[in-house]
Amino acid sequence: MVLQNNGREVIKREGTGTEMPMIGDRVFVHYTGWLLDGTKFDSSLDRKDKFSFDLGKGEVIKAWDIAVATMKVGEVCHITCKPEYAYGLAGSPPKIPSNATLVFEVELFEFKGEDLTEEEDGGIIRRIRTRGEGYARPNEGAIVEVVLEGYYKDRMFDQRELQFEIGDGENLDLPCGLEKTIQRMEKGERAIVYLKPSYAFGNVGKEKFHIPPQAELKYEIHLKNFEKAKESWEMNLEEKLEQSAIVKERGTVYFKEGKYKQAVLQYKKIVSWLEYESSLSGEVTQKAQALRLASHLNLAMCHLRLQAFPAATESCNKALELDSNNEKGLFRRGEAHLAVNDFELAQADFQKVLQLYPSNKAARAQLAICQQRIRNQLAREKKLYANMFERLAEEDSKAKAGIASGDRNLDAEMKDEQNGMAGSQSQVEPEP
Amino acid sequence: MAVEELQSIIKRCQILEEEDFKEEDFGLFQLAGQKCIDEGHIDQLLEIIQNEKNRLIVWNMGWNLVGPVVRCLLWNDKEEDKKKHYFLMLDLLVKLCNPKELLLGLLELIEEPSGKQISQIIILLLPPLHTVIQKLHNNKAYSVGLALSTLWNQLSLLPVPYSREQMQADEYGLGQCCKALIEFTKPFVEEVTDAKENSVENDMLREELLKFCFKSLKYPLLTAQFHEQPEEVGSDPLRCFASEIIGFLSAIGDPFFKMILNYGKKKRIWRPLEFEEEEDKQLADTMASLAYLVFVQGISMDELPLVLSPLYLLKFNMGHVDVFLQRTEESVYSKGLDLLENGLLRIEDNHLPHQYLEIKSFLTVPQGLVKVMTLCPIEILRRKGLTMLQLYINKLASQGKYTLFRCLLNTSNHSGVEAFIIQNIKTQIDVSLKRPQTDKWFTGPQLVSLLDLVLVLPEGAETDLLQNSDRRVTNNWNSPVGAQPAFIRAHKMCKIMASLNLLRYLIIKDNENDNQTGLWTELGKIENNFLKPLHTGLNMSKAHYEAEIKNSQENSNEVQKSKDICSVTVCGEEIPSMPPEMQLKVLHSALFTFDLIESVLARVEELIEIKTKSTSEENTAMK
Repeated sequence: MVLQNNGREVIKREGTGTEMPMIGDRVFVHYTGWLLDGTKFDSSLDRKDKFSFDLGKGEVIKAWDIAVATMKVGEVCHITCKPEYAYGLAGSPPKIPSNATLVFEVELFEFKGEDLTEEEDGGIIRRIRTRGEGYARPNEGAIVEVVLEGYYKDRMFDQRELQFEIGDGENLDLPCGLEKTIQRMEKGERAIVYLKPSYAFGNVGKEKFHIPPQAELKYEIHLKNFEKAKESWEMNLEEKLEQSAIVKERGTVYFKEGKYKQAVLQYKKIVSWLEYESSLSGEVTQKAQALRLASHLNLAMCHLRLQAFPAATESCNKALELDSNNEKGLFRRGEAHLAVNDFELAQADFQKVLQLYPSNKAARAQLAICQQRIRNQLAREKKLYANMFERLAEEDSKAKAGIASGDRNLDAEMKDEQNGMAGSQSQVEPEP
Repeated sequence: MAVEELQSIIKRCQILEEEDFKEEDFGLFQLAGQKCIDEGHIDQLLEIIQNEKNRLIVWNMGWNLVGPVVRCLLWNDKEEDKKKHYFLMLDLLVKLCNPKELLLGLLELIEEPSGKQISQIIILLLPPLHTVIQKLHNNKAYSVGLALSTLWNQLSLLPVPYSREQMQADEYGLGQCCKALIEFTKPFVEEVTDAKENSVENDMLREELLKFCFKSLKYPLLTAQFHEQPEEVGSDPLRCFASEIIGFLSAIGDPFFKMILNYGKKKRIWRPLEFEEEEDKQLADTMASLAYLVFVQGISMDELPLVLSPLYLLKFNMGHVDVFLQRTEESVYSKGLDLLENGLLRIEDNHLPHQYLEIKSFLTVPQGLVKVMTLCPIEILRRKGLTMLQLYINKLASQGKYTLFRCLLNTSNHSGVEAFIIQNIKTQIDVSLKRPQTDKWFTGPQLVSLLDLVLVLPEGAETDLLQNSDRRVTNNWNSPVGAQPAFIRAHKMCKIMASLNLLRYLIIKDNENDNQTGLWTELGKIENNFLKPLHTGLNMSKAHYEAEIKNSQENSNEVQKSKDICSVTVCGEEIPSMPPEMQLKVLHSALFTFDLIESVLARVEELIEIKTKSTSEENTAMK
């Protein structure tokens, strides 16, 4: 058998097995290696134990990862490795010189799927179909996007495409062994995992899937994407956009659950990632702009819910910097202004909304409230001034008492306003 | 007198059965025996001990005399003749006394001293200790474990020699002790390896020995220095100790490379080994020490399978380098630097894929290097740190370089380091422009996003320019001379100067019509964020310093007569007191710095003007 360009593999003795090892499998071999001039540089036969390694993970020189993957148990073969598939220009001093071609005789004794349990009790065995990219893996609490198929005795009982938070799997009827496996996967990886009952549905089974107690399960998993715990500077533009989309989804979940503070943190992350990436081009710019706009708008709404009105105004301003006619931006700023009794400013915002989007009923209602408040205020001021002139004639002590009672009225009114606002907000949904 | 006293106690006890010996008998025996020794009646004492009739008494009570005899041997400068007698006595006691009691007695004696006496007593008592343990048939593993841990605890109180002179002088006897310890341990190791079948007792002994080997890797081997002089390798006691310990590990444990490779991957292998303190941290130090000895010192390197890929070796050694760089001892830093070099040299330039930066240590190590470069008091190590950072950059493929540059620009907080990175960015742009196909990471939008971190004044015109261009004035006066790495003094202008140079380079190399780098579309932003505030900042700073010089001159005129020293305030921070001439010099050199920056800035602006003009002329001509 000839491997593409990297060297030759000659089978010296046919194997007895039928299966070949998969990526990530632990393989056990004996080997001897020679330089082209016949010098033996290393042999596992000189040591106590067989040599073992995880296949296809770059633990060994490239030629080995390729060649051993084609071997069967019991097979003995000769591999000739060109330098670029071995130790290359650098060599491995003192025994392997620069640019050396190496010849190995390898015998494969055994291979087995990788055991992912802490105790190595064989409860979770993973075999990798396609290797993922990079080395980052989902942490506890990270959002993951997976496609999975669950099998019990060749019957597929579950087939889903999911986005969920690691740690939350139980609520989604996912066995704990599956979550543990996902935390050991890399982006894009496709794997098969075999679960013993204690890592699957245990003594209880799962009625929903017709799984009896003490059942061993098999899952096919594809980890499409996940949220990485990375610093902003660790990511390039594409990665930032990708991660922003995940984080935004998470913010929306928090928002819907009423966890506004957590949602704010998520949206702020997006803003901080994309804020200074001003020099993007074409399609990327549009994506980034859209994400930033949505984040600012959602931040505004979270702040409104948290009654942090100045922050809400600020977020709206940022959104309107990106899109000066944005309907939600104008509307929410109007709400924020109204909440702190800046009636004229609020009125201006709602008027602009109606001017641009005449069918916006909510804005019409808010505008009406605004105008009502402005009239009330005018009336109150009139009264206050009128009183003031009257009071001027009266004694000081009485005047003080009068003002104090006026303050109390103001407080009470503000509470009403807030209650009214909460009602109008419930119709607003976070940015998709 | 004393002899008679002893005789009378013995006479009384000779007729008693073993279990009838009373506590007071033990006390009286010891007291009288001690007296005999003090008064020099060694011969008679020897006779009593050897007397067959006293066998039972000596077996039970004799160990009480070991202490006095050992003390005589060590602290009294007696004539050789008497010493011989003491030795004879010690041998006899070891032979005739109850080994169980003796073991505890000897260990107590070992625990007793401090300072330079620690090694003396260890060397003296190791052979008897060995004899005693061999005589104990039950629970041998426990005894060996107890002895080894007591020995190690005492030994770890000794300072590890640092310089070659200290090593040779071996003032505290650490080297000698290590040698003696190996001799002490070897027979037990052989016992384990020679055993035909596995027994529980054998497994326990193996475990105790492994524990000792692991502890030894941490102390003294973690901080021990190995001076690279091939002819001395054989005579360096700590190096011999290291290779023996690794030999033991290989003989009784897993092959050591398996331990190295499995570390961090599988927990189970380590579970039998219990470490007293925070287990993980202990193990991390131990494994780092082992990795250094194998890869840098080449001890037992032959056992490393020659099929492992260089990237894989770098990957797990990077974790160990990180451990070394997190420590505070300089001797340990240097080991980290050596181990890093060893790993990097196995890899070809530009062949370290960027994905490796997702492994934590691949980002923490360069940050550790920055720490060494800027804070380590030893110049050789600062230089080496810088060399290693450059080597690491060279090995990374371009996307990795890009990420690392962003990382260091964001985290280093050090103008000199930033200048070094900016210089590297320039090199990469240059390489990229010279290639037939430009590099995605050092041209166009990616580059622009990187330049955003470089061509900016963080606090606009109020940025403390001197701080950002050169730390001489504020920092060097506070730190001892030479505390700043050499390259920082070489790059006097540091970050701002480096940024301006990079900008100048870009303007010269790239044309507005080509715009390969993306610079020309960003020019407006660069002018607003960098060039304009820099102008304002320079003017403000210059005015401030000129005023200071004037002040200082006036002051010094007044003060000079009294030869007093005065202080100056720069950037809101008071410069520590220094002679007035020095102050003036510092202020003048600051002004000089500003002039230099200003002239480069002027050149940059001139180039921008020329280039944009010529482009627009070209464009009109084309029309």
